[in-house]
Amino acid sequence: MIRIAFPILLLAAAASAAGPDPDALIKQFDSLRNGWDSYVVRVSIRNYEEGKEDEEHAFEVYQKGTEKSYVEFLSPREKGQHLLMLGDDMWIYLPDTSRPIRITPLERLSGNASNGDVARTHYATDYTSVFVRTEMVEGVNCHLLELTARRKGSTYRRILLWLRASDARPVKADFFVASGKQLKSATYDRYQEVDGQLLLRRMTIYDHVRKGSHSVIEYLQFTERSLPDRMFHQGRSERF
Amino acid sequence: MTTPAKGTKRGSSPARAEARPPRLVWLALLLVAPAVAQDTLPDDQTRLSLSLYDEGSFAAGLLVPSPWATNLLLVQPSFSWRHAQRWRLAASLAAVGSTDGDTHGQLRVREAWGGFTAGDFDFSLGKKILRWGTGYAFTPTGVLDPPRNPIDPTDRLSLNEGREMAAVDWVSGRHALTAVWASGITDTTALRYNTMIAGFDSALIFAHDRGRPDFYGANFTRVVGEALEVHGEFAHRDSNAVLLGGKYMLHSGVNTIFEWYSPETPRLGRYVFLSVGKARLRELPGWKQWDISLGLVTNTTDRSRILVLDVTRRVADHFSLTTHAQTPGGKRWRSEYGMIPYSALVSIGFRYQI
Repeated sequence: MIRIAFPILLLAAAASAAGPDPDALIKQFDSLRNGWDSYVVRVSIRNYEEGKEDEEHAFEVYQKGTEKSYVEFLSPREKGQHLLMLGDDMWIYLPDTSRPIRITPLERLSGNASNGDVARTHYATDYTSVFVRTEMVEGVNCHLLELTARRKGSTYRRILLWLRASDARPVKADFFVASGKQLKSATYDRYQEVDGQLLLRRMTIYDHVRKGSHSVIEYLQFTERSLPDRMFHQGRSERF
Repeated sequence: MTTPAKGTKRGSSPARAEARPPRLVWLALLLVAPAVAQDTLPDDQTRLSLSLYDEGSFAAGLLVPSPWATNLLLVQPSFSWRHAQRWRLAASLAAVGSTDGDTHGQLRVREAWGGFTAGDFDFSLGKKILRWGTGYAFTPTGVLDPPRNPIDPTDRLSLNEGREMAAVDWVSGRHALTAVWASGITDTTALRYNTMIAGFDSALIFAHDRGRPDFYGANFTRVVGEALEVHGEFAHRDSNAVLLGGKYMLHSGVNTIFEWYSPETPRLGRYVFLSVGKARLRELPGWKQWDISLGLVTNTTDRSRILVLDVTRRVADHFSLTTHAQTPGGKRWRSEYGMIPYSALVSIGFRYQI
């Protein structure tokens, strides 16, 4: 009996020392922003400079699976623009045109909240994750995960993500580019329940290039919707 | 289709008649109003926008007798409606008032079309802007595209118009096939096949214009690494036309676009286009709302060129100020850009968008 119990106890102790499964945690994190396999969400971004609101942007995001997203720009100055992301490939449509312009991964990083922040929300697909340690963040016990880009289409090269140990809700994140420089950080502020799904309602992104600049992203009107594959084809002439 | 604005008289403001929202806009507002209060997005979706733009242009070193100062007033409403990913309607108008000694008015229908989807097919009918070329400043495969102007490749005043057409798209998996019949100076029947192959967004194009030789073309775009995009076009009708280009973005956000173009009649000129620009000068305190770009178009055959500067300053969410300046160079009256009858032109504009 002792011969059997001892190796089991040893394995259990080793697993406990290794910490929680980072892949399972990231999938749980993704489900807070992607409640369904196919859905539409209205996203509002308010930019602040030195505490004063200076710009507001609105988007309608159509998401299907982990690889297909289509973003319609709704704010007055950008109205008529669309962004299509298919895996690692991205195109932008200018107003009144059916031909998309191919854009490079680097072009998604402009602004406090970038195109990638809006359209790229499946971290389990885009990053490999490693559990680093457990630590306290503002009195909350958190698991710290390190995410490393696994594909060209990933928005950032590296992310440090703190998830609440009790339920894996995100608390904060730091975002880094290829040079190793920290570009942004984020806090995850508010949640909502939609059709029985717990979903992220509000997050704040802090710009580390322009100190004193931050953006508040709000996810509104999550709607489960069956979206046809052809909507996500770069060669389709039809646009909204 | 270009028609004079109804009720517009010489010397009167042509925009005034068009500034009143059309009945269609009020109807659309009624349609969209119930959606505002909903927690989920409705199947019926409507988009409305309106742009008001006024621009003054000032020429220096005029070589022909013409006004040195002109004014342009644009009122541009657009509307689109979609129901359940199946039915679509879209319209985009431009009321243009120009003053260059006399005042002229025009109402341009840029787009007005309807469409529906059945299975893997999208059908559309009406006046529509299509762009099949992948080039930025030149596009030899853009058989149905509005004419591309390398001095203004982005159509900064949004005055391009579509062609009246009947079109059908078939999209299945990675493949998209588009067939179009378009009216114009000559009726055009065109076919495009588009797919992704090993990261190449590529297209094959065939077009038949009544009374002209058939057109064959191919184009591609490809992203290499994180910052480089390359594109190319090949077209053949009477002879060959070739475009090669690329776009490179620096980590600072500065975007560089380069194109080399050999048209079907290269004896009239081959071209090099170079543009360097940055949207949002965020790194400079107080310059976040500024965009700047500098472009150079050179006819390498007659060695004439034109330098173009565009600066935009956004003010709050609805307003922007624009400056467009250009200065041509080359053998006066004996080269392409030497034919431009001024030594410099500066346009300053103000835009309001809702």
